Parts: sequence; C-alpha cells; structure tokens
Amino acid sequence: MTEYHVINGRAPRLDAPAKATGRAMYVDDIKLPGMLYGAILQSPLAHAGILNIDTSKALKLPGVKSVLTAEDAGMVHYGVSPARYDETLFVKDRVRYIGDEIAAVAAVDLETALEAVSLIDVEYEELPAVFTMEEAMAEGAPQIHDKYPGNMCAEVHQEFGNVEEAFAQCDLIRTDTFLNKRQDGAFLEPNGVVADFDRNGYLTLHTSTQSPHYVMRIIAMVLSLPVGKVRVVKPYVGGGFGPKAATNSIELASCLLSMKTGKPVKMNFTREQVFLFSRARHQFKHTLTTGVKKDGTLMALTNECYLEGGAYASFGIATVYYAGSLLGAPYRLPNMKYDGYRLYTNRPACGAQRGHGGVAARAAWEQQIDFIAEELGMDPVEIRMKNSMEAGDITCNDFNTSSFGMKDCIEAVKEESNWSEKKGKMPEGKGIGIATGFFVSGAGYPIYRSETAHSTVVIKLNEDGGTAHVLTGSAEIGQGSDTAMAMIAAEALGVPLDCIKVSSGDTDFSVDLGAYSSRQTLMTGHATKNAAEDLKGQVLDVLGEKLKVPVDQMDIKNGFVVFKGEVPDFTSIRTIYAKEHRGFFDNPDSDEPLTFKEAARMAFLARGSMVGTGSYKPGDLGGKFKGAAVGTSPAYGPSAQVVEVTVDKGTGKITIDRMTDAHDCGFAINRTSVEAQMQGSLSMGVGEAMYEEVKFDDKGKILNANLGEYKIATALDMPNVDTIIVESNEPNGPFGAKEVGEGAIMPTIPAILNALYDATGVRIQELPLTPERVFKAIQEKEEREK
Amino acid sequence: MLLPKFQFHEPATVEEACRILGELGEKAKTLAGGTDLFVNMKKKVLAPEHVVSLDRIESLAELGFSNGTLRIGACAKAVEIAESDVVKNDFPALQEGASKLGSPLIRNLATVGGNLVSARPAADFPPPLMAYGAKVVLRSGNGERTVALADFIEAPGQTVLAADEILESILLEKPEAHSGSAYLKLGIREALEISLVNVAVCMATEGADGPIKAARVVMGSVGPTPLISASAEKTLLGKKPSEALFLAAGEAAAMDSRPIDDFRASADYKRAMVKELTRRALARAYDRARTE
Amino acid sequence: MKKMICLTINGKEYELAAAPNMTLADLLREELLLTGTKKGCELGDCGTCTVIMNGKAVNSCLVLAVQASGKEITTVEGLETDEGLHPLQEKFIENGAIQCGFCTSGMLLSAKTLLDKNPKPDELEIRTAISGNLCRCTGYQKIVESIKDVSEGR
Repeated sequence: MTEYHVINGRAPRLDAPAKATGRAMYVDDIKLPGMLYGAILQSPLAHAGILNIDTSKALKLPGVKSVLTAEDAGMVHYGVSPARYDETLFVKDRVRYIGDEIAAVAAVDLETALEAVSLIDVEYEELPAVFTMEEAMAEGAPQIHDKYPGNMCAEVHQEFGNVEEAFAQCDLIRTDTFLNKRQDGAFLEPNGVVADFDRNGYLTLHTSTQSPHYVMRIIAMVLSLPVGKVRVVKPYVGGGFGPKAATNSIELASCLLSMKTGKPVKMNFTREQVFLFSRARHQFKHTLTTGVKKDGTLMALTNECYLEGGAYASFGIATVYYAGSLLGAPYRLPNMKYDGYRLYTNRPACGAQRGHGGVAARAAWEQQIDFIAEELGMDPVEIRMKNSMEAGDITCNDFNTSSFGMKDCIEAVKEESNWSEKKGKMPEGKGIGIATGFFVSGAGYPIYRSETAHSTVVIKLNEDGGTAHVLTGSAEIGQGSDTAMAMIAAEALGVPLDCIKVSSGDTDFSVDLGAYSSRQTLMTGHATKNAAEDLKGQVLDVLGEKLKVPVDQMDIKNGFVVFKGEVPDFTSIRTIYAKEHRGFFDNPDSDEPLTFKEAARMAFLARGSMVGTGSYKPGDLGGKFKGAAVGTSPAYGPSAQVVEVTVDKGTGKITIDRMTDAHDCGFAINRTSVEAQMQGSLSMGVGEAMYEEVKFDDKGKILNANLGEYKIATALDMPNVDTIIVESNEPNGPFGAKEVGEGAIMPTIPAILNALYDATGVRIQELPLTPERVFKAIQEKEEREK
Repeated sequence: MLLPKFQFHEPATVEEACRILGELGEKAKTLAGGTDLFVNMKKKVLAPEHVVSLDRIESLAELGFSNGTLRIGACAKAVEIAESDVVKNDFPALQEGASKLGSPLIRNLATVGGNLVSARPAADFPPPLMAYGAKVVLRSGNGERTVALADFIEAPGQTVLAADEILESILLEKPEAHSGSAYLKLGIREALEISLVNVAVCMATEGADGPIKAARVVMGSVGPTPLISASAEKTLLGKKPSEALFLAAGEAAAMDSRPIDDFRASADYKRAMVKELTRRALARAYDRARTE
Repeated sequence: MKKMICLTINGKEYELAAAPNMTLADLLREELLLTGTKKGCELGDCGTCTVIMNGKAVNSCLVLAVQASGKEITTVEGLETDEGLHPLQEKFIENGAIQCGFCTSGMLLSAKTLLDKNPKPDELEIRTAISGNLCRCTGYQKIVESIKDVSEGR
C-alpha cells in the first residue's frame, strides 16, 4: 500500500478517450484553410554527382506554387549534434544515398505536387558507392564526406583500469563476435508535417516528433529565423522509438515552402519514405573479449565495435559511444576497453532507436556471459547475481548508480519463471534463457552543448483554483508522459487527478528536451514536481498571511488544506468564496474542511495570476575523459528477463512460449503504464531478435521498404509477458521514479539467444533468428556431431 | 500514396462484364478483391486505363454443390471459403489455404479468383486447388471453356486467361472415399505472410488400410508457378503409407522443386522445407484419410 | 469523372461524388473529416485503416470509395452511441490498452466484428481476429485482455 493518493496507482491515461473515439488529432488529420501539399524529390542513386537540376517544367505545371532546391534553401549544415553537422536540407552537388533530398514542391493538391516532382530533371554522374562497413573501410574506397577520410564518421577509444594486467590474472578468457542487422523504427504513424508561416513572420510547424525543442532549434538555425519566431507543435504522435527525435527533411522543407508561398503546407512520408529516412537502428559488429576468474568474477572486457552508419551522422555520433559505455554496468567490471568505429556508407543514415547503442552490445555480452558460465560450470543466474552491481556502486567509466535493483530483478524473474525447476530439465526442443539489461534514465547532457535546463514546466492555476494547467514542452508520443506529469502534479500540489489539465509538446509552453533517452519521467517529472510545489507554496503563502498560520504548519492533501496544529477559523475565506460563487453548484458545505479551491481563490484575489515554475538540470555527471558525457545519467534502470522457447528443428522456427520480465523503475508513477511499456518494449525486442532486417540490393536500394516484408511481431507472434515491477526508490528521481521505456528491451534479444542455445545447443551470433538461420545452424551442428 | 486515374466500370452481370472486356481488351484490368491490384497500382507497377469490377455480380460469389461437384464462384471471398462447412468437411486443405491467406482483414476482401488470376508463385489457393484437381471455367462474349487449374497458371503474373475473358468459377470433384488432404504454409511470422514455402497434398488409399491409390503433391513458392511433383506421386503410388514413405516422397518433391535464392530465403532452405512440409502434410493427410 | 455514390456511414446516409481512384480511407478522412480511420502504410500491411463494411472488417485503403456505394460502413467514430462508449472502448481505456493510439481504431473495429460473430472467443481466436492489425507500442497483451474482459461481461 502506498502513502500517495494519486501516484503509484493505475489511473487511466488522460489521452485514452480521445484515441479510443477517433477524436485524437495526429498531424495528417490537420487541415488548414488554403493549405498546399508538398512533395520531395529524392535521389534514385546511392552515390552520384549532380551536374544540373532543371526545375523549369515543374514550375510551369498548373497548380504548382513553389519549387525549391539548394539554391533557395542555402547550404546551412545541420544534423543532430553540433559535433557532426554534416547534412543540408537539399543536396547541391552530391547525393549520398537513395533517398537523399534534392528538391521540394508545393502545389494545390498531392497529385499535382507528385507530378511536379516527376518533372524535375536532374543530371547525375554516377559514382562508385560503398554499402557495407568493410567496403567503406577498404583501401581506396570512394569518400562519402570530404571532411571524414576513410569514411570514418567517428572513432572512440577508451580504456578504464588496465585490461592487459587484468587479463593476466584471469582463469578464463573468451572472445566472441556478434552481428545484428539494420532495423527500422516501424512506428505505425509515418512522419508528417503541416507548416504555417503567418503574415507576422511567425512560423508554426505541426509535426509528428519526439522533440519539439530540438526540431525548433534546427529549423531556426537552418532557415535563419529567430528562435522566438519558430513554434513547433506536436499533435498526437503514433509512436517514435528514436527516429522521430531527429529533424527530418519534410520538417525543414515544409517550413521553407510555407515561407515562400505564404500558405500552410502539408507533407507526409509514405511508408516507403519512412524506410528511406531511417535514422533507425544501426548495424553493429561487436568483438568482445571477456576475462573472468574461475569463480565467475568478471575482471575485464575489451569491446571492439564497428557501426554501419549510412550517409550522415544523425544521432550516430552518440550511438558509437553508447555501444561501449553501456557495458560498464550492470555488473562490477573494473577494467574495460572500448574501440568504436562508425563508418559512413551510401545507405540511409542510422540514428537512435530504443535502447540506442546498447541493444546489440547487451545482446552480445549477455550471450557471452552464458557461454562463460557454461565453461565454468556455473548457472547463468548464479554468475549474474555474483557480479551484479548494487546501489552506490560506481562503474569503471564513472556512472553513479544511486539506486540499483538489479539483484531484485534477477531474483524476481528466477522465482516467477520457476527457473530452478526448468533449467536443464526442459523437454526436447524447448529451452529457457536469462539475460539482464541496463539503460540510462535520460542523457546526462543535451545533444547540443549547453547549460540549459533539460526540462522546464509551468503550471498555471485557474482563477477559481479548480484546475491546475500543466504547460510543458515535453512530448507525449504514446508512452504516457502526459498522464505521468498530471499524476506527479496532482500528487505534489495535493489535489485530485481530475483537477489537472496537461498541455504539452509545444515549444511555446516551455523548454523540454523531449522524449528520447528515456528521460521524461525523471527529468520532466522533476520539473513538474518542482513547479507544483512552487505553486503550492505560493498558495500557502497567501493563506498563511490570511489565517496567521505559519506555512510550515499547513499542507494540501487530496484537495483539502490540512493543518498540523489546531484548525484555525477560516469562516471569512469561506464567506468570500461563497459570495463570489452565488448560484454555483459545487460550493463547499459549511462543515467541510478548508478546500484547496478556496485557498487558491484567495491567492488569485491577492496576487493575480498564480503560476508555478519548475526546472530540472542534472548535476555534473561522469568523468573527465573524452566522450565521458555519453552514457551519463542521473539514474539507471536495470532489468532482468527470462524467456522460454520451443524450437521446431524441422523448420528452424522459434516460438516464444513465455516471457518473464522484471524492471527496476525506481518507483512506478503509473503501474499500468510501466507494465505497458515493458510489454511493448519486449515486443519490439522480439521483432528485432526474430524477424526485423532492412534488406538492400547491390545498388543500395531497400528491398523491403514496407510493413509486409519488414516484419514486426503480430498478435499471433507475441506471447503474454509476466511483468514484475521492482521499486528501488531512486533518490535522484521525482518520488523515486526512473525509466522503463528503453531499458526494458535490453535483455530480450539475449534471453532469446540463450534460450535457443538451451533448447538446441546451437550458438547463433547473428540476427535475426530467421527459421533459415536457425535451421542451418542446427544442421551444421548435427553434421559436426556425426 | 495515390492510385493513378482510371475509368471505372461496374457491370451487373457476367454477360455485361464480358462485353466490356471484349471491347476494352488489354486496356482493362478486372477488379475482384483489390488486395493485389490496388497494391500494384499504388506502387506504379500497373496503371490500367480501365478497371472493370466484378464485385457487384452476385452469381460470381456463390459457393455450392451441384451433382457432386463443388462450384466456387471466382468472386467468393477467402473468408467465405475458410468458413464454409462444405469446404471444411470435404476439402480441408482448401479451407486451410483460405484461412492462412494474409490476415483476417485481407481475407474479407480477397477472392479465390483474384488469387488465381494474379498468379503469384507463393499464392495460397493454387496448391490446394491443384491438389484436388480443380478446373476453372473461363467465360467470354464468345462462350466458355473449362481448363485444368494445373494448366491455367503459366508464369508469374501470367495465366491463359485472354484479355476478354473472366475466370467465372472453380469446379472441384468431391474426393473419393478414404481420401485425406492437407495444406501447410511456412512463413516467418504467423500472420500477414507471403509463404516461404507452401505445400498441399491430397491422397487416397485402397480401402481404409490399403496402399495409396492416388496422390498429388503440389508445392508453391519454389518455382515460377505452383508445381505438381510427379516424382512424389510416383514414390507414393501403390505403396503402404508410412513415415519412411512420406519422407521419401518429401525428398522426391524436393528434387522436383525449382526454388531460387531471393531476399526471403535461399534455394537450399526452400528445397529442404519442401521435403519437410511434404512429409508433414502427407502424415496429416493420411491421418485424415483414416479418420474419415 | 466523379461518380455519385450513396452509402451509410455510422448510421447516417450520405450522397457524395467520388473520383474512381479515391480510396474509401481517403473519402472518410478527406471528404467527411472522419479522421479516426488512419493511414499507416496504404498497402494493406498494417490495419490502421480498418473499417467495418457490411459487417466485415476490411482495409479501407484497399477499397475504392465507389465500391462502398450501397454499403454500410462503421468507423471508430460510430462505435459510441447516445448511451455512451462501446464496452470495448471503455475496457481499452480502463486497462491501458492504448498507448500511441494509432492502431486503436483498427483494433476496436476488428474486435467488434469478432465479438459480434463469436461472443465468447478464446485467446487464440482473439489474437487471430486482430492479427491483421499491427501494434508497435503495446505488445498486444492489454488489448487481448480488454477484448476478453468484454467477452466475459466484466
């Protein structure tokens, strides 16, 4: 049972009724008067010089209002991180992947816009292209960006402790490789925008984004507009998962087209264009060497990782760091060396996707730990428990774990799944596997160098005190952040949940870095709590003056004022309130305790608009070495998962029979939302483990740029998940809360790999686990054993 | 995504449909369920000037027995075939094929005729229908002709249907006593899949325990058209059913298959799966034959 | 050349002109501003455009507006009545079965056609009924639980 009256419960989501009734407006549901439709021209070639662009025929087509190229847009470089601003809105003399943007058109309807695009003549000079990391690194490979020789977008070299010395003391050292494939966010709502530049020089962009703030800054920078004249508004968003945190070409193009035409401009990505845009999961090739003592103590890890990054850096500049840093935990690892290399290739750019650079690294290492356990004759649960970190531990790469329920998570899944009765005793063709996970609860630093608060929140109390309006730039993208903020505000202010109204996702409301790196519950939550407490303080201040009671003798609970000492006579307040609300239906009864509404009304009368503000910025985090920032966080979310599979050896098909997942979210603001994020995260992990892979032909064209051939789990593929919430009470989190959304995916792939090994004795170190891959591995094993 | 512009025709009768097609010929595409046609039109693979819908012609959607022959109208939807008791009882492999096509949403639109005429190598209807020896009735302004389904599909996307013809119905003879059949589809996921390999078998034994007196093994996705395995049939005829026999028939079918390496799977894997699915389908078909 | 079509949508009769190449999804969204029907892929792979047409759940992106003439269409907007929300809508809200919401319209309509036909489905039947509706957020579990709750009268 909980001492809280709103949080830690199962309040239904605030946005659910609108979504259940079809009333929720997503960006493509928006229509504005006089709206034009835009379309972009994208390169059909993976690597080519542009000799000439002729837009004359397009311009002459009736109904076309504007045609723009780099000539009109200029060549301001942007990207995600200022460390790698390597993109321009339109390319001028070189295309670097099939999909690279060359021009944009606005016309009276979509059909005309598309026809106009087809009338733009571009003269290309095809160049040799590189598609794989190996090709990109090869001697004499064509260079994709002049500034980055060897197609090396970024290189990371870090060592903590001394791995050589540590290896010398190990009883067992193992080296394993791991390879995943490029994947896609596959959110159900394709990216879309409506840009509206008004006659006062104010630009409003409605866009399906995870971070209105980052998009706003990029638009202001690229289009040379003052930040104060650019407003980005996020309508309801149909999923983001990472790729929608990066500013995209239609966000920029639609704004420019609106500025040129003076009309609103709508643009959408088709599903195929979503694949061309990507900014999704990289391909990672890991080589891990781990050394342990014979009692299972982890001593050292070297991690070499190559990332196939596509034509631009996007979030990849952070990804290449995460692919190393996130292995610093959840085990006590005193010595770690990481060498990471992100290569440019002539393919769509990769970026951040749920779990960022940690997912493949976690899969690789959790699989290797199982191999090590086997060689040592240790149970996989035992070796993990033995090495698990505890709250207060600091990783070798300077991450502070202020709360860490890792052991609780492992114990919980071991119990719940009946691990001890099952491990080693599964029937033929069935297996059980365990893995753990670890992720940040918000990136420690913004993606652009700044001392900015990561989240600011404004709460405006309406004049009769009945409603507190939370105004936040944070992004509700389906994960439930609006509801979480409402619950936190209600709890901190001391009012029932239905007194809270949330407006979010609008850069006019406040600065918030947005929904990425699993940050909003902790960071926006803190700012919300602070704003609510600020507001409460202001109300109590006025009340204290009126009643001659010290502020610290009063509090607000569940909509009522509570007094630590004797209840003072508040008749005058009640009388004033009743007089001002003659004829109203909900005036407090004469014998009711003093209500928050009445106190708030007094505050309004005394001071005018009642506004509480709150902000949050993490303290100084992390070490002083290069790249130390990436992976730092005010808190970390560990988790553990057990998966049971059945393998059909005749076909190689894997059926996931059961999943048991325990996640330490610090403190569940909304228990239903935490479970829901666990279940969803796991379904994405299942897809990535089993089916998902973006496939290319030898010219760099995506073969499966649709949801039929790029396969995410259907309702018949995904089992039920036993979810266990572990609450370790994070001191750095609001009410003890920290993340769940991205961390939960971490153990899924390796738990499946480990269960597969348990079922078949087959080690597969490449994803996805298609039936063919599994069948072949089983056949090869049977051949070897003959 | 936009569909290209076209002129739309909605004939009320088969005669009217044939007349229109007779006039328009190659300039027209017939529309049944639209689940294949519209996808191709949106992807700009096809841009017919005319679309002739058969959707409103009720006689084309009927399904019923007449003199021991099951007649399935070409516009009968996959869902109707999947839920028909008649089909379930006498043609279980057909019921299985119909129920595994796409998804429930697709099955509510897709028609058996459309699935045959679009002639995709991995289609779900041809293997079971061919296993039952189905015939198709083709109608034009000049009359009608009946063709064995096995001869109807010529190449991917190509059938013997002339530009002025429609596929009117599919005819199936009720299988003889002591028959059993089965359809197996292998996909990556459990729904919304285009088969990696699919196999339909139909077999009959001499009396309840006798040797196999008739057998047909049809494989999809492993050739430009669905393939009947003559070698599997030869392996099975006259022999007593057994695990070993079904395995041998699977191997024979694999030898007859002509898979290619493509982005879905390698030819080697597909061939191995023909062997496995054939073996399993035969076992299931035999079980059904015995419990008949 | 546009064609005149007459159809019933959510119980209301409409007479409209539609170009042959307009899909039912676009007719609903663009002409009638019934934007609860979504477009996730436009190729029949995702199910976000699901509507009920003459009692059957279909991908409206693969149906022409002109094909819908003479038919009865129910969209998500037509699920609630004067009495209130449909039990499926209520359960989805109560159980947390809605996250980003983009698959929700389609899920509700597929679920409704299931329960209309088979009031007491088992879990496999429920999962099969929604197998053409992709969801990237929920892992399907709370959606399946909600449908089961409604079927059990909870």
